[in-house]
Amino acid sequence: MNLGQQFLNGLVLGHAYALVAIGWTVLLGVARLVNFGHGQMYMLGAFVTWFAISGLGLPYVLAIPVAIGAGILVGLVLQRVMLKATIDQNLVSIMIMTLGFGYVLHGAAALVFGSTGQILDTPLAQKELAFGDMWLTWQDIAIVVVAIVEFLVLKFVLDRTRIGRLVRMVAEDPKLAELAGVDIRRVYLAVFAFEGAAVAFAGAMVGPRTPILTSMGFEEVIMTFVVVVLGGIGSVFGSYVAGLALGLFTAFFGALISPAYTTAAAFAVLIAVLVLRPGGLAAGAR
Amino acid sequence: MHTTIRGIALLILAVAAYFAPVLAGGSGAVYSALVLIAIFAAMSYGLDLIVSDLGEVSLAHTVFFAVGCYTTALLSTRAGAGGWATLGASIGAALLFAAVLGLVTLRLREFVFSLVTYAIAVVASTVAQNWSFLGGSDGLRGIPVLDLSLPGLTLKAGNDRELWPIAFGLLVVVLYLVDRFRNSRLGSAAVMTHLNTRLAIVSGIDPQQVRLKVFLFSAPITASAGWLYAYQRAYVSADVLDSYFLILMLTAVVLVGRRLLLGPLLATVLVLGQEKFLSLGGYADKIILGSVLIATLALFPKGLIGFVEPLRAMLRGRGADTVRRSGAA
Repeated sequence: MNLGQQFLNGLVLGHAYALVAIGWTVLLGVARLVNFGHGQMYMLGAFVTWFAISGLGLPYVLAIPVAIGAGILVGLVLQRVMLKATIDQNLVSIMIMTLGFGYVLHGAAALVFGSTGQILDTPLAQKELAFGDMWLTWQDIAIVVVAIVEFLVLKFVLDRTRIGRLVRMVAEDPKLAELAGVDIRRVYLAVFAFEGAAVAFAGAMVGPRTPILTSMGFEEVIMTFVVVVLGGIGSVFGSYVAGLALGLFTAFFGALISPAYTTAAAFAVLIAVLVLRPGGLAAGAR
Repeated sequence: MHTTIRGIALLILAVAAYFAPVLAGGSGAVYSALVLIAIFAAMSYGLDLIVSDLGEVSLAHTVFFAVGCYTTALLSTRAGAGGWATLGASIGAALLFAAVLGLVTLRLREFVFSLVTYAIAVVASTVAQNWSFLGGSDGLRGIPVLDLSLPGLTLKAGNDRELWPIAFGLLVVVLYLVDRFRNSRLGSAAVMTHLNTRLAIVSGIDPQQVRLKVFLFSAPITASAGWLYAYQRAYVSADVLDSYFLILMLTAVVLVGRRLLLGPLLATVLVLGQEKFLSLGGYADKIILGSVLIATLALFPKGLIGFVEPLRAMLRGRGADTVRRSGAA
């Protein structure tokens, strides 16, 4: 086994996980909401991109915004339907509704795009960069760059801008924020729109790495969950680091032990952490 | 007096329900649909206790269902075990899984608990698809005919018509257990823990113990449905961990109303009725089922029973209304 290659794979995979998790980081960490349909929305992003390229003949660069648009649409619909439950902070209803949405998305995607696996082929995925006996595709490099940029921008927006402050206020106490004059409906809409956009974007960027199926998405939710919890719920930087750590773990576990059980192994690590420290790894720091 | 009337009404209902397939035409399709309704309703009651009474969303009940299916399949195909043995083993295995699950999630609350149970179900699915001991992606085939014979009494069920009395019996037992639970101290403790944890603790209830016990009680209920399902289908594979069963269970729990004895059963009748007799195709049915779940929670959070209450109040007479109004003034 080529250690260097696995390390490189791990880094790329880690950035991919971070990219997929970024929408959840905001949703869960900042708005304290869970979206079980996250994996299906990722699948939708990948499939809309695929359809835009192979069905509509658009170039990859234009297919991505189409996917993001679809993601935003789904996020907005999701939020509009769940608005009352969100304001009432009815977590049980929200969780079950997002599960239902994921299921509907699966059915709809299978109906529209079919149930056979597809390859999301992009010009970037076909070009390789080699150094010594290690190699990467340009798609991999794009994933890394995009993930880093997105995380930096998000950190900036949350910490330094007015919108970020509003979002954090609403997360802290929605009723109080409303009394203070914040339009919490718009904040929730924005957060869900961001989640939809981010996960669809991740689908467009990370989708090319493996064959895509309309039945996929469940493992993505677990990986996202592991990343967000391990990194400390609410910590943007924490999720980035956790994503990288998870990526490296997955790459080495897959190469050394078994590629089929990487998700199970990652989940086992999470359980160990949760049982020992129910607040997540960052809990000690607070 | 009230309990006796309720008991008689339920008895009449039960007898009528037993003859439902005959009343509905007696065809193979009808028996098949009703057997599945009984199995899936029993499966849903396990989750009902967790969601409606305990107030937590456990997404791992599909694992208990699968434990029932796989235990039955493994023992009947590889060890030649009969119906009673597989039932006992399914319940035992479910208790074991529930104990482990319960202990692991003891200190987890709300969404972390739900996420962990969701992940457990997905991991279980991966294991079921990849482990050759469980048949891998092919699953386990050739499950023999259900044989519940006792000394002196032959009881075999080779098709859905013959399975119906057993499925019906299972459903009745489950309903009885759920009813007993809700009238027990554990049942009350569960509801109290759900509605006001602090008050529960103050009155001497240990919420974590209650959670664990409710888990241990609910898991075998769902697993026994898995036991029967294995015989009904005669083969078991990783698809028993499909999200279809989870969505079905959740819909059964919320559609009609919370903590209603016949709620999940009625809901299962509606959902499977649509699927079997008004189907629009596999994926369209998925969209329908998912949408029903979402619509129920978004529009009628109390369930369809939310329609009945105002109607009942209306029928009781405007007299009651005027009295209330003048009283408030």
